[in-house]
Amino acid sequence: MNSTLPSGPAVRIEGLDKYYGSFHALRKINLSVERGEKIVICGPSGSGKSTLIRCVNRLEQHNGGRITVLGTELNDDVGNIDGIRREVGMVFQHFNLFPHMTVLENCMIAPMIVRKRPRAEAETTARRFLEKVRIPEQAMKFPGQLSGGQQQRVAIARALCMQPQIMLFDEPTSALDPEMIAEVLDVMVTLASEGMTMICVTHEMGFARRAADRVIFMDGGEIVEQAPPEEFFTSSRNERTRQFLSQVLGH
Amino acid sequence: MEMVVVAPPAPGRLEDLRRRFLATPLQALLSLVSLAVMVFLAWKLLNWAVFAAVFTTSGGPVACQAAAGACWSVIAARWRIILFGLYPFEEQWRSALACVSVVVMTVLSCIPAFWTGRRIALVWGAGASLYYVLMKGGVLGLPYVGEEAWGGLALTLFIFVTTCLIGFPLAICLALLRRSDLPWISRTTGLIIDGVRSLPLISILFTFAIVLPFALPQWLQGDKLYRVILGSALFFSAYQAEIVRGGMQGVPSGQEEAAMALGMSYWQRISRIVLPQAMRNALPATINQFVVAFKETSLVVIVGFFEILASGNAAYGTGDWRFAYVEVYAFIALIYFVFVFSLSRYGAYLERRMAVGER
Amino acid sequence: MVSLLRNQKVRNALLQVLYVGSLAGMVLACVMIARRNLAEQGITSGFDFLFKSTGWDVNFSLLPATANDPYWWYFLIGIVNTLFLGSTGLILATIVGTIVGLARTSSNELARLLGRTYVDIFRNIPLILQVFFWYAVITHLPTPRAAHEAFGILLSSRGLYVPIPNVGGVAFAAAAIALIAAIALPVWLGRTSRLNQPVGERLGIQLTGAAAALACAVVILAVGRLPDLALLDFPALQGLNIKGGLRIPPEFSALAVAIAIYGGSYIAEIVRGGFKAVGKGQMEAAQSLGLSPWRVFTLVRLPLALRAMLPILANQYVWLMKATTMGIAVGFTDFFMIVALTINHSGQTLEAIGILMAGFLAINLSLAAVFNRINKAIALKGNQLRG
Ligand SMILES: Nc1ncnc2c1ncn2[C@@H]1O[C@H](COP(=O)(O)OP(=O)(O)OP(=O)(O)O)[C@@H](O)[C@H]1O
Ligand SMILES: [Mg+2]
Repeated sequence: MNSTLPSGPAVRIEGLDKYYGSFHALRKINLSVERGEKIVICGPSGSGKSTLIRCVNRLEQHNGGRITVLGTELNDDVGNIDGIRREVGMVFQHFNLFPHMTVLENCMIAPMIVRKRPRAEAETTARRFLEKVRIPEQAMKFPGQLSGGQQQRVAIARALCMQPQIMLFDEPTSALDPEMIAEVLDVMVTLASEGMTMICVTHEMGFARRAADRVIFMDGGEIVEQAPPEEFFTSSRNERTRQFLSQVLGH
Repeated sequence: MEMVVVAPPAPGRLEDLRRRFLATPLQALLSLVSLAVMVFLAWKLLNWAVFAAVFTTSGGPVACQAAAGACWSVIAARWRIILFGLYPFEEQWRSALACVSVVVMTVLSCIPAFWTGRRIALVWGAGASLYYVLMKGGVLGLPYVGEEAWGGLALTLFIFVTTCLIGFPLAICLALLRRSDLPWISRTTGLIIDGVRSLPLISILFTFAIVLPFALPQWLQGDKLYRVILGSALFFSAYQAEIVRGGMQGVPSGQEEAAMALGMSYWQRISRIVLPQAMRNALPATINQFVVAFKETSLVVIVGFFEILASGNAAYGTGDWRFAYVEVYAFIALIYFVFVFSLSRYGAYLERRMAVGER
Repeated sequence: MVSLLRNQKVRNALLQVLYVGSLAGMVLACVMIARRNLAEQGITSGFDFLFKSTGWDVNFSLLPATANDPYWWYFLIGIVNTLFLGSTGLILATIVGTIVGLARTSSNELARLLGRTYVDIFRNIPLILQVFFWYAVITHLPTPRAAHEAFGILLSSRGLYVPIPNVGGVAFAAAAIALIAAIALPVWLGRTSRLNQPVGERLGIQLTGAAAALACAVVILAVGRLPDLALLDFPALQGLNIKGGLRIPPEFSALAVAIAIYGGSYIAEIVRGGFKAVGKGQMEAAQSLGLSPWRVFTLVRLPLALRAMLPILANQYVWLMKATTMGIAVGFTDFFMIVALTINHSGQTLEAIGILMAGFLAINLSLAAVFNRINKAIALKGNQLRG
């Protein structure tokens, strides 16, 4: 797990099954994400979007099928999981910043204790990424003192500080007020333009148009349709997709 | 409340008093009865403890017994045994210093600047070692004094500190084990915790002091004092574990998920993310548990230790001071009161401060 | 092998087996060593000893006890003593706690101050110190010859002597049960779900029930009365000692008083917490309906406060029950002291410890069960108190 890139797709999911008890949350999902590709996943509530991307860094354990991330299969081998989580960053709907640490510490802790970087180096990196998400001046504040949009940008910076190869976003803007959504999306668009591999669960169709290579529509634990954004928005064949799109885009 | 257009004139002093205490006939009656009870008790107490009391040892027990008030001479005559037990007379300054070190340690750990895992461990480790070296001696030119000679307040404090020192880490372990994803580990731990909690402390102390030697190989038995401390630490940890677990439940699950997603290992997640937040949530309850633990150290008197209560019993139980039991118990009660009251006040203050901080 | 250890499932299984196994192994080893050590002392393990006679006396028992009685009977005596002391202490502590707690919540500042002083003092002094204190106070009372006397009650260093009716033991117990029923019946009948009458008629039925139970008690006492003796047996000085009446030994009184005072300070805080938990909105609503202050208190404030207190109160009661083990400090033969004495005299250490644990588990569980039932019965349906 380091910067020497093994060949093959960034993420390959084959026949993925996931159960919560007897509830079948994901049914035979097949998905391959190339390096540098940006994927947007959308779909109605409860369709399994979060579950799917949480399987990618094993916040959820899958029950069937195979997931291969950066050439390493996610199985019961503990070492593989630790390695993959280091290379896969994640941004949550509710930010999940560590409230007992300053913004800077939030960004420094993982590089220091997981990647064993020296403090000075971790701090330089942290400040660089805070600059990148356009809040360098908030470094010494605590998360509770920031607005939602600022917190989410800190969360993005925190994930980037681990210098991951893949970024997962789980509805990063849906807990935000409208005026803050733009600032977070801007950061994400910049990130996309720099070639990061991204899998985003979001209902921001504007973002999908601007940045995504492929849009995936899920319903009932299945991938119903996937297509490049233009095609997806204009000439979707599927009834459920069109219904969903009319709801999301309708207002 | 916008309906009150004209503010009523500011009430005078007398008016204010009348409103507070004599608003209705019933209120007035209640005030009067309370006042009477208070004045009566305060007068009785003051008279007994101060005005009619004997403070000097000059008259001896006989003159003292004749006095109408308290006979504080017994304290003047016997304070050393109450505070230090049977500790060698010339070495008692060490015992006193050891008590001071424990008090300083406790005060230090109430200061927020020391509230990181490492610092608090350092303070307590240093305090306890200092205490141990001072009491036991055998190094630095201090004559050796074995545990069997320790007693009085010094022994009470020792038992309290070691109980916390062992019990606290144990509590965190138990809480983590109980919270484990592995069903057998969490169930077994739950059984241990609930089992210990359902038993009275005395029965646990008794088991550890008197029964355990039968059930342990010779080399594991150790000193009775340390066995009892272990028992009391186990009891403390069973209660404290539930408090810590409650604190952990107050930490949103997203915190641990975020830490996982950053690649942190289990121990990193627990020590850097979950525990610091959980301990903050659990702080008021934890301080309360310390208060309870301090009060409960007094129970070791039952398994035959010469801690402050037993030494108090001895202080009036022998010789000519048999009549002066109230004074001795009042003195010991005062010592307990000072420790427990200030600690619990501090806990209440913290709770208020944190409630304000959350807003 | 290494790769096997890195497998999460294998790891989890291994950890669990290791943990449970090592704990079980430790316990087992302890039991084995203990059995061997005891066997060396000529003590055979097993519960046969329960049927041997003890050969020693207890100083307090509600049940008839002689040194010839078997161990199992003594354990029973111990449990009854514990329950008796516990419930006496509990009732007294509840009375004290309610009074002090009400003072703590009263609108009168002086009463609040008084209540607070009480709580601050007695909560912060260890219970066992208070037990020692009261025991010393009672044993330093005048000798029986100079006993204090009032209303036929004698108070001396040998204990408190109260008059009792001259009736047989069985009748006495039955009467006691009837008396309890007389108190419990109206409460039980008072539950709205049982009687569908309007409040006025309900009161009549309740009173009738209580009166019937009381009458029962009187009849039982009259029937069970020992012939040829006065109705009441008064204690009186005879020689150097006091004869007659019922003697409440100093050990018991010291414990009961200490538990009442200490427990009262805790219960006072619970009572205060309960009243504080009642929302202002409910009270204001009740007042705005024009209910009198007394009605607001009994119909709204008290019932809601009781519901808020009950769970915490249950914990406190369990704690107080366990506090009876302090009996051993002054020599009151509660359950724990019987166990300790058994170990001393018979050497059946493991069995006695087992019985001790089982006993307290049973006491805890049954108390918890009772409170759960009460809690469920009075819990508000749904979430009526939200907001
Ligand atoms: N921990 C869990 N236990 C049981 N069921 C769960 C759990 N997590 C999710 N589910 C169920 O799995 C299904 C998929 O959940 P998921 O969170 O992936 O949906 P989603 O598409 O992200 O929805 P949303 O847009 O509301 O976030 C839902 O029906 C949900 O109820
Ligand atoms: Mg979701």
